[in-house]
Amino acid sequence: MAQAAEAVKTTYQGQMHLLQKDIMGRYYERLTRCAEQGDGKAVYMMISGNPVELALAFDLIPVYPEINALQLAVKKVCLPFIQKAEEMGYSMDNCAYVKADVGMFHSGRKTPFATIPLPSLILCNYVGCNVYLQWFEHLAEYSQGNLYNLDIPFLHGEFDEPSAADITYVVRQLEEVIEAMERLTGKKLDWAKFKRIVAISGETGELWAKIKALTQKTPSPFDAYFDSVTMMAPLYCLRGTEEGLRFFETALKEMEEKVELGMGPLPEERFRFVIEGPPPWPYLRQFRDLFSKWGAVAVASTYSTVGGLWEFGFKHDPNHPLESIAAHMLKWNLTNRSFLQRYEQIHRYVKEWHADALVIHSVKSCRLFSAGQGDMREHFTKDLGIPTLLVESDIEDPRYFSEAQMKNRIDAFFESLEHQKMLRESAPKGDAR
Amino acid sequence: MIYAAGVDVGSTQTKAIIINEKREIVARALTDTGANVTRAANKGFAEALLAAGLKREDVAYVVGTGYGRYKVTFGDAQITEISCHARGASFLFPNTRTVIDMGGQDAKGIHIGPDGDVKDFVMNDKCAAGTGRFLANAAEALSLSLDDIGEIAMRAKNPVRLTTVCTVFVESDIMSYLAQGKKVEDILGGVHSAIAARTISLVRRVGIEPEVTFTGGVSRNIGMVRGLEEKLGMKVNVSPDSHFVGALGAAIFALERALKASSEKHEATPAVAGAGPTA
Amino acid sequence: MAIDNLIAEYKEILEESPLEPAAKWKANHPGSKVVGCYPVYTPVELIHAVGMLPIGIIGGGNRIEIAHADSRFQSFICSIVKSTLELGLTDKLNFVDGMVFHSICDPARNLASVFKRNFPQMMIEYIHFPQNMKSRSTPDYLTAEYNRLKKSYETLSGKTATDEDLRRSILLYNEQRKLLRELYHIRKETPQNLSTAESYVLMRIGTLIPVEEHIAILKEALVELRKRDEKPKDRIKVVLEGSFCEQPFLELIEGLEAAGCYILDDDFMIGWRWFVEDIPTEGDPVRNLARAYIDQSVYSGVKHDSRQPKSKHLIDRVRETGASAVIFLAAKFCEPALFDYALYRQALEKEAIPHLALEFEEKMWIFDKSRSEVETFVESMLFD
Repeated sequence: MAQAAEAVKTTYQGQMHLLQKDIMGRYYERLTRCAEQGDGKAVYMMISGNPVELALAFDLIPVYPEINALQLAVKKVCLPFIQKAEEMGYSMDNCAYVKADVGMFHSGRKTPFATIPLPSLILCNYVGCNVYLQWFEHLAEYSQGNLYNLDIPFLHGEFDEPSAADITYVVRQLEEVIEAMERLTGKKLDWAKFKRIVAISGETGELWAKIKALTQKTPSPFDAYFDSVTMMAPLYCLRGTEEGLRFFETALKEMEEKVELGMGPLPEERFRFVIEGPPPWPYLRQFRDLFSKWGAVAVASTYSTVGGLWEFGFKHDPNHPLESIAAHMLKWNLTNRSFLQRYEQIHRYVKEWHADALVIHSVKSCRLFSAGQGDMREHFTKDLGIPTLLVESDIEDPRYFSEAQMKNRIDAFFESLEHQKMLRESAPKGDAR
Repeated sequence: MIYAAGVDVGSTQTKAIIINEKREIVARALTDTGANVTRAANKGFAEALLAAGLKREDVAYVVGTGYGRYKVTFGDAQITEISCHARGASFLFPNTRTVIDMGGQDAKGIHIGPDGDVKDFVMNDKCAAGTGRFLANAAEALSLSLDDIGEIAMRAKNPVRLTTVCTVFVESDIMSYLAQGKKVEDILGGVHSAIAARTISLVRRVGIEPEVTFTGGVSRNIGMVRGLEEKLGMKVNVSPDSHFVGALGAAIFALERALKASSEKHEATPAVAGAGPTA
Repeated sequence: MAIDNLIAEYKEILEESPLEPAAKWKANHPGSKVVGCYPVYTPVELIHAVGMLPIGIIGGGNRIEIAHADSRFQSFICSIVKSTLELGLTDKLNFVDGMVFHSICDPARNLASVFKRNFPQMMIEYIHFPQNMKSRSTPDYLTAEYNRLKKSYETLSGKTATDEDLRRSILLYNEQRKLLRELYHIRKETPQNLSTAESYVLMRIGTLIPVEEHIAILKEALVELRKRDEKPKDRIKVVLEGSFCEQPFLELIEGLEAAGCYILDDDFMIGWRWFVEDIPTEGDPVRNLARAYIDQSVYSGVKHDSRQPKSKHLIDRVRETGASAVIFLAAKFCEPALFDYALYRQALEKEAIPHLALEFEEKMWIFDKSRSEVETFVESMLFD
């Protein structure tokens, strides 16, 4: 039986990884110019289903505190900011994204990757996550900025579909957002430009869906979790731009080539899993290595759909720009959907992407994702018979990650999967004697 | 005769077991892990060899387990203690379908199949509730030894209700109850009851199917055994070898691989007509 | 004193058998239905108008052992989510025909889904309360949401609610809320005549019985309470904030008072006292309910009204009641309350209003530590 090596460092770096570094570098340079030279106006938004197309139509600079927070964790500089927020009165039990961002805000808004500009508009797109409301409420107080709560009704009711009243409410609010942006910039909305941007968003989303479909192949050309997060940054920061569109064209081509060559991110793909939950940003590399050791590749992830769910047929429609943006925010993203809808989404991934198991990464900071994952685990193991592993740490706070404990659980799980695989493979054979 | 060994390097103690091809235990060794994990692993194995009257070359295969398993540098493979506990418990009590393991640092629930394979598992490794640490804190708060509290707990007539199972607060809760004049046995009864409930709640996630086997250091606490049996409403298997369950399971894995390697070797060798591979 | 007996009787129901009155009511009214309302606020008039009994399902208190629900929800989730699920998993909610949840926080939202999956025989409803109070379209939205809810409840009960039915329900709940406001008025003006613990019992019992009965109880209690004339004790006057969902057990409230506080105002069970004045009944009653939520409701950690800074409301309340300090009492792991605290703390420090922050869990039995902290706080203020 093949022995897993003690540690496998994942060194997979493709063309799209390098391109992403490049364009994100330029994105952050723009933020810094805005902050330090007053070049342009910034609008703060959340990534889960947002009207960035409107911001771009007004030449506003989209700033995403969530992405800033996770970058702080990836660059391993978030802990002092978290501690600063805790000194200010934030609790150990508050979301660490918020704490890192608030701490950073009160430290001159300087980070190793950019200086973050003050907001000219704080557009809180309340898409499922209640913490968003608190986060932006706090930033509005600290910055004395102009806050607009773009209230997106949660998918509920008998069929978990947006009602006519929900859609009308969102569209009317988007019209008010347009009014606010017109006041802010002193310009009227250029509808033709806006529709072109929405069209680009549509094309980008479609490319993303095509890329995601490729991981249904065996071997999967990329890891739908660890490599997806590379692609998510341009998807949110540069959606609606030509640069973003070209990135996804490049990424699709690269991945299609990999499929033709039968190449994947690991020397050998031995296990395919679906993964639920955001990653442990301060320990992304270590976490990945724990799976790579077993030849385990993620073929689908729920986290890669927080900003939008394009793989099941949604596409931004430039002919109905406000309605389709409303649909994106109401229905076509993970966070505005109910917990049970997430179960269905995961089950669909397991079936259509041919996965062997489900891994749930439960994170303390994010209750939207995590609260009740024990029930999810129960449903998948007991009702659906899908092997499920639950591991725990955090998205941002480095104090909540224990590599030894994580490794133990992951090893035990794959040991058992390996054993079951061995039993299945040796079952029809008789004795060699 | 083929021999195989399992070395379980735990956070406080290192256990080693050597078995022969008939699955008989020929040696046990128990040492403190201490600060140097590699040294502890070597020492434990050396003691077991001595006890068995064997040399290193006599042992065909060694499996390392426990949190220090990667420091078992002389080992042929590393397997998690979850898989090893499952195997070991199944060996000791072949009808085991649920393993409850309570160690010093963590607690586990394992649902196993008839041949000791892991079907599902759940771990509490973040929080000290349900581990030996909680009981140690409670014992210290009452100035008692960890070895005595189980027996004392069994004498409780009116066990108190613990307000929290947080180790950080158990001491202050115990102090409050003492100040209220509660009896020591009632307090300990409450402590054991709360931990039993918490553990069962954890294990319930993988389902509780008889027979239930209790392993780990805490399984030597008679009060805990009784607490679990009462709350489960079923008998719980406990072995005097409960300490060694992990090492035993590791040794069994080692033996299986030794036998497999041995039979593969025989198949590769051209067989003389009429002779089949030996076991 | 008759009122003391009354309060003792309700206290026992609250502690020992809170769900019994509703179960009994259902048994005595064959064919009728009960709807459980998860904290914080539910438009109970919609449930009442179709002949169903709305009751508060506010966790399992400190009598329930959580043996099943903690395998579904993690340790860093507040107790009330788990104890409410435990009630369901241990068959204590079998007589409840429907539950209604809303977006007070992320765990509560997920709890609605977990209930839906695990209790298919219950009708699980969810209300999305608006968080954009500035939009011109918010009243239309909430009116539509309430109408959707009304239809849902008409289906569950088998009865339709006419505008007249709704107006009648609004009038009744207006009266209940007015009587509750009077309790709080007595506490604010003459705290020595009505303890927080007493008013809490009188308030909370109303979440377990029909509103008509509660009105009678409150009326009876107030007759006696208005006559009380106690001597004020040497205590500090505080406003309490942060306990709008998971509720502390009664001994903790009594303990806070005994430690030397007059609690002039609080946000206990705030959802059942959501409106600061009567809801109008002329015109479209559903639209009136919706408008009242937007423009006539109290401030709360779970309502994000960006028209004013949240901490301003707390400061105003302190000034208005004449309190000299704030006790922030939040349930452990309560994310909205803990976030609010960060802003409140800064505002209170700026206004030089002393405050103390405490955490509790509904299932606590011992609270010596909290009590000591409050005593120390009181001493530091009295001996200043």
